[in-house]
Amino acid sequence: MSAIEALYIFDEHNNLLLDHVYTGRPPSPNVLLPLYLAHASPRPSLIYLPNTNPPSLLHSLLQDRLLFLSPCSHDVEPLLVAEFLHRVADALEDFLGSPLLASKIEGSYDVVAQLLGEMCDAGIVATTEPNPLRDVVEAPSWMKSLLGSAGLPSSSPALSGPTSTPSFLPPPPPPPPTSTTAPPPWRRHNVRHTSNELYVDILETLSATFSPSGLPLCASASGTIAFTSKVSGIPDLLLILSAPGGGGITSVFENPVFHPCVRLARWRDRPGELSFVPPDGRFVLAGYGADLLGREYLAELGKGVDPTKAQARLGLPATLHVSTALGSMGDEFEVRLSLNPRFANAKGGAGASAAAFAPSLGTASGGFGGGNGGRPKPLPFAMATKADSANPSLADAVVRVPVPPGVRNLVELKVNRGEAVYAPGDRVLEWRVGQKDIAALLGVGAGVATLRATVVGMAEDEEPADDSGGGMTGMKGETWEYDDAAPMGAYQAASTRKGNEKDMKVAAEQRDAKAVRKNALLMPSEATLSFRVKGWLASGIKVERLSVDTKASRGLGAGVQPYKGVKYLTVSDEGIEVRC
Amino acid sequence: MPAFAGSATARNLTLEAARDASLAGRSSARPLPVQQLKKLLDSRNDRDVLEGLRRVISLTYTRRAPTLPLFSSVIKNIASPSLEIKKLVYIYLLHHAEAEPDTALLSINTIQKSLSDSNPQLRALALRVMSGIRVPVISQIVSLGIKKGVGDMSPYVRRAAALAVPKCYRLDPGTGPQLVEYLGTLLGDREYFVAGAAVAAFLEVCPDRIDLVHMHYRGLVRKLVDMDEWGQLATLRLLMVYARKCFPRRTRRVRRGGESTKSKSVGRGFYDDEPTEEKEEDDNDSNYEEVVLLDPDLEHLLNASRPLLQSRNSAAILAVARLYFYLGTPPYLQSAIGPLISLLRSPPDIQHLALHNIVQVCLAHPDLFVPYTSHFLLKRTDTPSIQTLKLELLTLVFPHSAPSLQSLILAELSHFAKSHSTALVRASVRAIGRCATRSTPATASRCLHLLLAHLSSQDTHLVAESLEVVRHLIQRDPHAHVSTVIRLAKNLDGAQSAQARASIVWLVGEFAALVPSEEFIAADVLRILVKGFADEQVGVQAQIVLLAAKVYLGFLNGRKVEEGERERGATSSPLRDPEAGGLDLPGNEDGGFRDRVSEAQSVGPTAEGEGQKHAIELLWQHVLLLARYSTSYDLRDRTRLYRALLSTPSSTELASLLLLAPKPVPTIPSPSESRKGYVLGSASLVVGDEGGVGGLRGYEALPEWVKEGEEPDPRLRDEAGSGGRTEYERNRIVPASEMLDTAAADRPVAVKANGVRERNLDDWLAEGEEDDDDDEEDEEDDGTEEETETEEDTSEEEGEESSSEDEGERDRLVK
Repeated sequence: MSAIEALYIFDEHNNLLLDHVYTGRPPSPNVLLPLYLAHASPRPSLIYLPNTNPPSLLHSLLQDRLLFLSPCSHDVEPLLVAEFLHRVADALEDFLGSPLLASKIEGSYDVVAQLLGEMCDAGIVATTEPNPLRDVVEAPSWMKSLLGSAGLPSSSPALSGPTSTPSFLPPPPPPPPTSTTAPPPWRRHNVRHTSNELYVDILETLSATFSPSGLPLCASASGTIAFTSKVSGIPDLLLILSAPGGGGITSVFENPVFHPCVRLARWRDRPGELSFVPPDGRFVLAGYGADLLGREYLAELGKGVDPTKAQARLGLPATLHVSTALGSMGDEFEVRLSLNPRFANAKGGAGASAAAFAPSLGTASGGFGGGNGGRPKPLPFAMATKADSANPSLADAVVRVPVPPGVRNLVELKVNRGEAVYAPGDRVLEWRVGQKDIAALLGVGAGVATLRATVVGMAEDEEPADDSGGGMTGMKGETWEYDDAAPMGAYQAASTRKGNEKDMKVAAEQRDAKAVRKNALLMPSEATLSFRVKGWLASGIKVERLSVDTKASRGLGAGVQPYKGVKYLTVSDEGIEVRC
Repeated sequence: MPAFAGSATARNLTLEAARDASLAGRSSARPLPVQQLKKLLDSRNDRDVLEGLRRVISLTYTRRAPTLPLFSSVIKNIASPSLEIKKLVYIYLLHHAEAEPDTALLSINTIQKSLSDSNPQLRALALRVMSGIRVPVISQIVSLGIKKGVGDMSPYVRRAAALAVPKCYRLDPGTGPQLVEYLGTLLGDREYFVAGAAVAAFLEVCPDRIDLVHMHYRGLVRKLVDMDEWGQLATLRLLMVYARKCFPRRTRRVRRGGESTKSKSVGRGFYDDEPTEEKEEDDNDSNYEEVVLLDPDLEHLLNASRPLLQSRNSAAILAVARLYFYLGTPPYLQSAIGPLISLLRSPPDIQHLALHNIVQVCLAHPDLFVPYTSHFLLKRTDTPSIQTLKLELLTLVFPHSAPSLQSLILAELSHFAKSHSTALVRASVRAIGRCATRSTPATASRCLHLLLAHLSSQDTHLVAESLEVVRHLIQRDPHAHVSTVIRLAKNLDGAQSAQARASIVWLVGEFAALVPSEEFIAADVLRILVKGFADEQVGVQAQIVLLAAKVYLGFLNGRKVEEGERERGATSSPLRDPEAGGLDLPGNEDGGFRDRVSEAQSVGPTAEGEGQKHAIELLWQHVLLLARYSTSYDLRDRTRLYRALLSTPSSTELASLLLLAPKPVPTIPSPSESRKGYVLGSASLVVGDEGGVGGLRGYEALPEWVKEGEEPDPRLRDEAGSGGRTEYERNRIVPASEMLDTAAADRPVAVKANGVRERNLDDWLAEGEEDDDDDEEDEEDDGTEEETETEEDTSEEEGEESSSEDEGERDRLVK
């Protein structure tokens, strides 16, 4: 099966950047683009187009605002094509530099053409690993072109960075005998670096969902270990990871995926130890998922979990709470952002202030508080001895509240910190709390910022007349007295607590009640929180040791001790979601 | 793999900008006129030629100007000693050869010469390009080239040969037999990435020739782990089909308990060296259970593919899951569930595709997914298609989960039922309905309660959709829901949405026929509805007419029964019945006929008889009258139909047949149920029936298990044919990385003075093994050849690479 028939790349204005036909006679890009755009955004990654000639499956990928399309006239595994498109994007990024820009592709069509030719041979996916690609395709090197135009000979291969095909290099300076051994397939030949460096970057993307009562429903982090290796020869590395708690690394490192270079047997026998011969340059060593609540949490949920405690266990840097249908007309809502004092900026006193945050939780009405940072495990304090991870800093907190389509405007937008942005007609209210505000908030100690807004619905004339009887739609809540139901679980009670029927009955005035009911439709149903924390990982994973096995490595040179760096970063990209 | 955000430092950005600027400068946007391009291409200076070629390639890609006129000028450079120029000419040639076959043929000779170049990479490149030229007359030359490539020392060339096979086949299917022969050799190649490419080519050229695979089966299984991802995908695909065709499904009934070990395969001493393990499958039988006996070769495959579950390639993970799903036993499948879930960490496009497959696995084995329920909770950032699939997964898991989890799922569904997106509301409400139909009565009533609570919402979509689902639920067990219907009817005054009202009216009508005691309510409801008939929307009006017809029919039927009883009891005249419609019968019938003639006259007789008629009859007449003046012709049509049906009060059989027909219980299948037949991982599965029944073009269903006794002889898989190689192969069951480890430990310092660069992992490994001398030598020859080549080439290369003025000059002198 020739999986890939053609590859078309469009820039952000949907102009054709490139078309590369691999095999067959696929429909032309001009035909496919309108058909693709005809689908509503977000467009599915696989679309079937019965009306093209031949009828085609259209695979698509949007990366860095570039659109990759690949048509296929028969049934092939869609994941294969999707993965291929990702690899193409990655390879282009690797060769042309990140972020991938249209101008970069336009500037080096010759390189792109060679790459595309190597990556897929007449429809069969061939070489996609960046390192072997470097062996056969020369990366555009600005250094070279600079030197070239200056009329200087670029004789030193080390200068031109990732160099060309080894067989065609000018005779290299007599290599040390050890470096002649051929590397594994994922590693480039003859790697030489003047400065030997190794970097481990662990990035976790946090996602957590909270019920209206503040109870965490799920919380997980998906982690990626990116590794940058700039070491000469063929190094053999050992990376040892550790996790908090007694469960060992496997308790947090769930369903890992590894780069082919990782010795799986070693991991299986001794979890936490990654032994590998890295490719040259930056690559993703492993990916994993971590369930932050533990596997038994769902079972616990049935027995009733205290929301405050559950939140404390999570120890997130920041949490949200949304109250809706406030005010006499029920047209106001409030978002409360609580910061965890442990994530104050790297000041000496930050660690100490962690002990003092307990009183500040007094505001915890409705079981919601300042997002207690004290993990039950002694880990945070153990970490406090280290410089960087001891004072993880929270930054770029952004709260987004999706606004229902019925809302015409938000008025009386009040925030006590940060900056809230909303223009009439927007579908999202954005509230940014910058670095300074965060520092100020945490300095005060309370660590709680609030936003309050009032919704305004569509103009009156668009609504049915008020005297028609039953509000806008639906049935009258008052006549409803269905009694056939089984008792609801505690959770339901909590979640329907905010249901408007009860409020309505309490409401003295019928007119107000009506307004409340009407406004209930205009209330946001969730809010999300984004932020990034440097020097902290939600899962608590740590790099214990990174060592070069000098016996197994080759060509490293005697006594070379590579520089090693470790970085932790936790990101929530609208990952924290609070229902209301 | 997710990109690493925010790692770009200021320094990086500056470099970035500099590089970008220089790139932009290198090939400026302004296109050169054709004449000037030609001049560049014809130049004797390599740098100019290179520049010209770059511009030509850019033009080809952007289609800003036709580049075909430059064909001969470009092709002329094919003999250039500079590799970079050569590569670009090749790219151009592949693009345009089809349009200029004659000129393209001129280049074949040069390319053919490169096939015997001493540099393996150049040989591989030449083979790739030659086979890629779409000019059918050269098919024999290509075939010869492939033959040469198959016997090449360098694995790169052999791989290029494998990849060239399908291209040659497409060029001229007549070369098929030769090609298949080459493939047979290549499948057994000891190099991982040659074998992988060979399998891919095999799938394209002759996927049915499984007889070629027998000999290489075990070798392929062993190499699986070390192949590149794409080779793994092709191999898994091939071996899955192979397994279905070659390993009959053997099951054995075994007494429950420890006995299963005793029943080890008796007549299979042939495979004594390999462990036979029985996997157990649950069976309803209390004493016996069905045990699947796995063929040792199949088991070998299943175990060998296990490490791929940790692949970073989502397609590979799915391919293994597919293998386990169709070939394996439950324990195998179970081990694949976690990795499947890990696909949900991928970018949205992959997530979407993976979810389609996960749903299919979940349809078959929902219980396996219960521990992963929290991964299926919807996120706001999910695309709508992902959300729908997740909702479906939640409902599939629902019946198998613990009560606390069920509460969580229901709360989740009911939250999204209140969301602001119509599609999501619909999907969630339906999901609640599916949950209700698939669980115990207690949970079902909880779901129903949830839905009924939604009826009081302000959201029209939600109300209409909920009612629809409630109706479905009621229909499944009408007799248990009489009170529900009464409640619903009571709320008719409040319900504003037409769809909701129509739904309720229909339900009431249905119950009027089902439950005799309901008659009162139905008639009353009808009476109230008729009052506001004119203000209703057409859909509701139609339902009211239908309700009236049903009520009237019920009334007629009831009277008939009464009459029959009376006749049996006392033989008095039926005409004495005060409610008897007998007298009106002719009039009524006349009215029916007459109003087709004249509308005006019909008012008379109906009005006349009012005094003696039963209220229901009058109601019926009234409704008929109301509907007759509707502007909707559909409604008038329907009314006419009902009137004709019910025109003879004594003969209601036909009407009963039509109106009181038992409605089939609506089934609420999971949306993906319709895709169940498609093989996991296929595009047809994702597209669904949209792609036509039976899948998309090129879709292949999985073959059935071969019948016992019809399978090929297992001895065919013996590697006896490969002679001494077997010993060698045995040693290599260990994955490459592991070997690397041991090899490295054995020989801390490699002393290889001859500077071999072109060797790969395998040779590297082989260093530790002294029994592999032949190969070693081959490679060394290869290496030295290449070394000399390197020397020659680089002098030229240097000039062109540095792109400096004087270097280029020297280059010219050399030529």
